[in-house]
Amino acid sequence: MKSQDSRDAGHLSLSKRLAGLGVASAIALAMATSAHAEIDWKQESGSKINLLLISHPFVDALKPLLPEFTELTGIEVDFEEFAEQPGFEKLLADLSSGTGTYDAFMTSPLNNWQYATGDWLEPLDAYIDDPALTDAAAYDMADFAPGILASGRWTREPMAGMGEGPLWGLPINFETYQIAYRPSIMKELGLEVPKTYAELLEMAPKLSAEGPNGPIYGVITRFDKYWDLPYLTFGTMLQSYGVEMIDADGKLQICSPESIAATTDFIELIRTASPEGAGAFTWDQAMQGFAAGQYIMSVDEANLFAPVYEDPDQSAISDDVGYAPTPLGPDGERAAGAWVWSMSMNANSGDKAATWLFLEWLTSKETMIKTHLGGNMNPVRSSAWADPEVAALVETWGEYPGQYREVAEEMAKVAAVRFPPHPELTRMLDRWAEAIQQSYFDEGNVEENLCAAQADVEQMIGN
Amino acid sequence: MTREDAPSFHFGRRAKLTYVVMLVPALLLLFASLYPFLQGILTALTNRKLYLPDAKFIGLGNFEALANTAVFWTALSNTLIYTALVVIIQIPLGLGIALLLDVPTRLRGFFRTTVVLPLLVPPVVAGLMWKTMMQPQSGVLNWLLQSVGLPPFSWLTDPATAMISVVLIDTWVFTPFAVIILLAGLQSVPTDIEEAARVDGANAWQVFRLIRLPWLLPYIVLVALFRVADSLKALEIIYATTRGGPLNATRTLHIMAYEEAYRWSSLGKAMAIVFVLWVICYLISGLLLGFWHKQEKARHAA
Repeated sequence: MKSQDSRDAGHLSLSKRLAGLGVASAIALAMATSAHAEIDWKQESGSKINLLLISHPFVDALKPLLPEFTELTGIEVDFEEFAEQPGFEKLLADLSSGTGTYDAFMTSPLNNWQYATGDWLEPLDAYIDDPALTDAAAYDMADFAPGILASGRWTREPMAGMGEGPLWGLPINFETYQIAYRPSIMKELGLEVPKTYAELLEMAPKLSAEGPNGPIYGVITRFDKYWDLPYLTFGTMLQSYGVEMIDADGKLQICSPESIAATTDFIELIRTASPEGAGAFTWDQAMQGFAAGQYIMSVDEANLFAPVYEDPDQSAISDDVGYAPTPLGPDGERAAGAWVWSMSMNANSGDKAATWLFLEWLTSKETMIKTHLGGNMNPVRSSAWADPEVAALVETWGEYPGQYREVAEEMAKVAAVRFPPHPELTRMLDRWAEAIQQSYFDEGNVEENLCAAQADVEQMIGN
Repeated sequence: MTREDAPSFHFGRRAKLTYVVMLVPALLLLFASLYPFLQGILTALTNRKLYLPDAKFIGLGNFEALANTAVFWTALSNTLIYTALVVIIQIPLGLGIALLLDVPTRLRGFFRTTVVLPLLVPPVVAGLMWKTMMQPQSGVLNWLLQSVGLPPFSWLTDPATAMISVVLIDTWVFTPFAVIILLAGLQSVPTDIEEAARVDGANAWQVFRLIRLPWLLPYIVLVALFRVADSLKALEIIYATTRGGPLNATRTLHIMAYEEAYRWSSLGKAMAIVFVLWVICYLISGLLLGFWHKQEKARHAA
């Protein structure tokens, strides 16, 4: 049932993740209290493992919990923390040299397609199936959202086999995309939150206001020459316009008419409603800019920024922010990108049993809930979504109680990884992002740029 | 006899031993610098990917592919523009500051210490610091522009202005290097010649142009030599601020090579780019070094 649910026309639909959320809470609570599993947690006592972590609210939530793990197992945990891009570069250098500096590390399915091809990842199935290492009942694999868990599986066949084959990583959180807006300003301007991209484009020229510290701009979203643009944020808009990188017949759609339309509209939106410098915004600038109150709307940005927006210590707008699903495309369709942070084990790790115990502890129900309460969003286990404390934390977010959760559930129904697994997918997406940027900066026209990118990507797949 | 023979005999053996002892580290050094270099050239001739165990020899395939990549030519011209701007801006600026610091005042010691401070800031840190200041909406630079009634500038975020902004940061960090060397040069100008010229009625400009500047020329070439080699290989400031963007506006050969290797795992292609960069570095440095030697020779002959 798991694999059927999770694989929807070749994609990983994440819709089942939130199924039966409310009713399950009592059961989930009962299960969550059944303390740590019945295995010998001390079997690797005295070992030491080293992690590579990428700066994220998850890491802040994890750090204070590490002593609990050491107390439970006698295993010491060291870690190094990096920003995203340098972190992935450091990881690549380490993995390719085979030194095994990091026993486990933060990664994602997208990155794992290359790491798995390089034989750098330890498949996790054998550890999950080993009763000496894992108490299957307490660990409860069925509690993971099936689609999210399956995104960690791959047969290692380029352009195929996602969701099947060995498990290369365990999910630790999940993000999809949404609109965040400033209710007070929208009211002042007499505007409703846009339901479609057409509505958004129509109101774009009206989106500006004066704030206490200077002008408030219309729209913010990331826009750098980096794979996250077509894969995640603008990818959400593309997919709502019906564009997938490869269609059912295996043909590239990067310069399809729908893709050209989406790109043209996106560029018009940014030119009309975003300020100077919008062509170089990274995700952290997008997050901080909105949290600082400099924008009326954050379009198609990560929903896991919400904990930052809601925290008065990090945000100037904690009492004035609302959330809405991403707009509908021209055909009334909505689709969204999905990002799954995962933990994987290094095939060259010197102590795999100890590393597994760490991964098992980390992704257990109890520890996951603790990280969520510490700001790690969004949960990937249904027991965590159902946890009363997690539910209470999320309940207050938004313009009215329960708004964030409502939107997150709506978006989870349409969020999926709609890309073919390939060890060099990031390079192809970087090239795609370049074409979008060229169009924004007036170098050539949209169609020429996208078609040139498509030709290059075609060649990269062939190689 | 024996007394006189012995030392010479010992000396001969010791000399041989000395040669051998000196030869070993020299060979080691040669090996240590040549081996990675040759390894790099070999890799440049393969389609080596970090994530694949085997690589195929493809001859000049990587170089051909580069020649057919538009971004490569953009990166090549960016590299040369960056270097040219650095030299054109930093040497006159450094000379100007050095001349000011050469004027005896009570605060000279203070200024001489403070002017070198940027050199002590790691380039990555300087890059991040300036990136914050150059942020178009919340950065202090646009706030300053606004407060004197000037329109905001897009700094690092527009392809048209990103290159000059990055060079500006480089200038902030490395101009003090030019200042230190040129100041040392100025202080070595023989005062008797200067005084003689003044006595003969030369004005300040003539003293500078006819005495100080020729004297300084080898120092200027020295600064150029270092700054050119450094700027051709510049990475940290650019990577900390724009990562080669927006679009490809600041994508230099070094940035491109770094991305090929550590973002896209194409070690073969990366090494081909590094080799091109090495050839350029070698040629330009060779030219400057030749010029410097000529200057030195002319001066010692004089």
